[in-house]
Amino acid sequence: MRLAALWGWVWRSAAAVPPLGWLIGAFCAAVLELLIGYELAIMLYLPKVPPLFGATLLFQNPLLFPATLLFDLLVYILPVCAVAFGTQRLTDRAAAFLEHRPTWLAALMHLVLMYAILHVWTEASAYRLQVSKLVMIAVMLTLSLNVINGYMGEFSCSHPGFMALGAYAASVFTLVLFTQDRLFGPALLPAALGPFCYPLALFIGGMTAALGALVVAIPSFRTRGDYLAIISLAFMFIVKSAIENIEPVGGPRGMGGQPNWSTLPVVFTAMALCIWIINNFVRSTLGKALNAVRDNETAADAMTINTRRTKMVAFMFGAFWAGVAGGLYAHEVRHVTPGGFGIQMLAEQLAMVYFGGLNSVVGSVVGAVSISMVSEVLKPLGLYKWLVIPLILILVMIFRPTGLIAFRDFDIKRILAPRKAALKRRE
Amino acid sequence: MRKITTAIVLVLAVMLAFTFIACGKKAQPTIKIGINAPITGDIPKVGEGTRFAAQMWLEQIQQQGGLQVGDTLYPVQLVIEDNESKAESAVKANTKMITEDEVLIIIGPQASKQAVPAGGVANDYQTPMISPWSTNPDTTEGRPFVFRGCFLDPFQGPVVAKFVDEEFGFTKAAVLYDVASDYPKGLAEFFRSAWEELHGPGSVVAYESFTTRDADFSSQLTKIRNSGAEFLFTPQYYNEVALIVKQARELGFDNPIVGSDSWGSAETVALCGESCYGQFFSTHYAAAGAVGETKAFIDRYAEKYGYVPDDVAALTWDSIRLAQQAILATGGLTGDIKKDRQAVRDQLARISDFEGITGNMTFTEEGDPIKCAVIVRISEAGEFEFYRQVCP
Repeated sequence: MRLAALWGWVWRSAAAVPPLGWLIGAFCAAVLELLIGYELAIMLYLPKVPPLFGATLLFQNPLLFPATLLFDLLVYILPVCAVAFGTQRLTDRAAAFLEHRPTWLAALMHLVLMYAILHVWTEASAYRLQVSKLVMIAVMLTLSLNVINGYMGEFSCSHPGFMALGAYAASVFTLVLFTQDRLFGPALLPAALGPFCYPLALFIGGMTAALGALVVAIPSFRTRGDYLAIISLAFMFIVKSAIENIEPVGGPRGMGGQPNWSTLPVVFTAMALCIWIINNFVRSTLGKALNAVRDNETAADAMTINTRRTKMVAFMFGAFWAGVAGGLYAHEVRHVTPGGFGIQMLAEQLAMVYFGGLNSVVGSVVGAVSISMVSEVLKPLGLYKWLVIPLILILVMIFRPTGLIAFRDFDIKRILAPRKAALKRRE
Repeated sequence: MRKITTAIVLVLAVMLAFTFIACGKKAQPTIKIGINAPITGDIPKVGEGTRFAAQMWLEQIQQQGGLQVGDTLYPVQLVIEDNESKAESAVKANTKMITEDEVLIIIGPQASKQAVPAGGVANDYQTPMISPWSTNPDTTEGRPFVFRGCFLDPFQGPVVAKFVDEEFGFTKAAVLYDVASDYPKGLAEFFRSAWEELHGPGSVVAYESFTTRDADFSSQLTKIRNSGAEFLFTPQYYNEVALIVKQARELGFDNPIVGSDSWGSAETVALCGESCYGQFFSTHYAAAGAVGETKAFIDRYAEKYGYVPDDVAALTWDSIRLAQQAILATGGLTGDIKKDRQAVRDQLARISDFEGITGNMTFTEEGDPIKCAVIVRISEAGEFEFYRQVCP
């Protein structure tokens, strides 16, 4: 009984802390780790600070796992809870103050704090940094695919194709203009200008992908369901074969030498923008119209929705963000081959969407992060990894057929609201 | 509830006890060697060959008690990371091995689409890397820290041309290749330019292509038969080789068919059967008829893992022995990983006339080896038989 009471108390106190408190706690933990993490790790007989909370050690070196658990408890869990609970009054008052200011201001503050946490946390390890960046790119891809497969309710298979278009368009832009390169010769503009034009490169990548989406959309939206799946699958192969046959971009050999401009601030900003804009999109009239079209196209048409236009816009919108993510990916991995954007990538992205939850912004983030992390953690298992991951997917599909967290988007105002008021309201 | 509490306390206590297991083991300076291999993904057989060769090497070193560098005996540890046959995983694996595991040198990745981006990471962190199998020039170009263990396509193309010219004295060639795959396409181009250099423009009378996973080559082969070509060069992988050779014979093309190192898989003969007997291809090493060190390697591998090693395993073995030689040649490690990596890289670049099981190697400025190719004949028993050696 006592344990249940304790649990209830922890739960109630946790619910009383606004997100600002948790973020400040996490920031303190990250700073703490940067300061004493190494010494503590040595004291616990760990070779180094565990890069991903020790999760990668679980199968690689199970004997060290208890020590990493202790490390996590001392460095992350205890400080986060202590700071979050300790500053609860203060942060709640801050949240109440921000409630009466514009939402964007409060959201921006939280985002800056989130970035600061990530920045400090990834300072300690290049591997951590790279994993974080790739996970954020995966979040963008999953979310953009969810717009089409979840909110629009069609089964689109062309996402790797859109990503390839974005990756190649953005790479060609930066390689032609800013780098000395085997394929395109000397740089046309000074390289110092490059990072400032990088957003433009990403935008061009996204627009190219959106244009590609238009090409698929025109013939395929005359059909529904399975036909779109097949046409979009065909489109993915068309993109792959086309790039393989375009010699100026390297053909099947691929294109390399992109500058490493996908830094943490860039990727984080792109992801935050992507989540924000897509979240607003799906909560807008257009988003609701999209859901109406999915549920019953004839009825939606009768309610004066231009169904064709709605679907086109959503499809191109999803493709745009896939293109942007492709551009980021190309400048992170710094070598792209058409063969890489194939069925394997498609399967991964679909798994992330359906695992996380259909028709859901929160679910997309959860799906992308968890599938990426699970596949990173299970790596030492080798081939058995491909038994475990599909098994997890099957279990999720049986017990939660729409995915872990389906039908949920961010209500920024409610999330950031002070907790006192929320508790009172509930009573 | 009390029982649950007791259980939780017990579990925690046991785990706490476990944290002290590692106690008392003072971290001894070890030489760590990273292996970046495609254990899962499209080409798991390649990953398996890589892993087996590396583990066999490790066993040999462990029998000696470790590596004697200068006057210290270091234990050796392999860090094997799976790159899932994906570019971003190969990059992640390299970053992890370099920054987290602090390996001295990396062997792998094998396929070019992973080796090119992974090589970029290794070069950025100034860590030597040897890709045993990657043939894309971009892997090593402009990267002083990246080396490779195999010869390049610009070398293999002329080797085949030279061999056919000397062996048969033919003048008219035909080429059939996969336009969508980077390796056959490159090799087909290099072969054509080499052949035309020998016999003048127009001597490649048919230059036909197809796309990956095509299974019917009759239209291309009919064209090749009608062009009057005296032989066919097809730098394809084993599954396509079987189809191409069989269909060519059915269409009445009875001239020799010559291939490249991609033929060198045990599957080639299994799928192709008698149609392939008597054909030639160029490769890194030949299992049947091998002598000396090569034979010793093949026998040990076959005894341990139950099959004759393919060229990936042999090249991995050579690459890891190159690494070993470079580490030994440093004459002593400082313990400062950055300095040691630099020293190993400098020694690697200086290696000349290394006696590998796939031939003698000397590294060029770019980190590509100069070595001889082997021409293999598929015997009437279906074995890969050493025929002759062709040097540049």
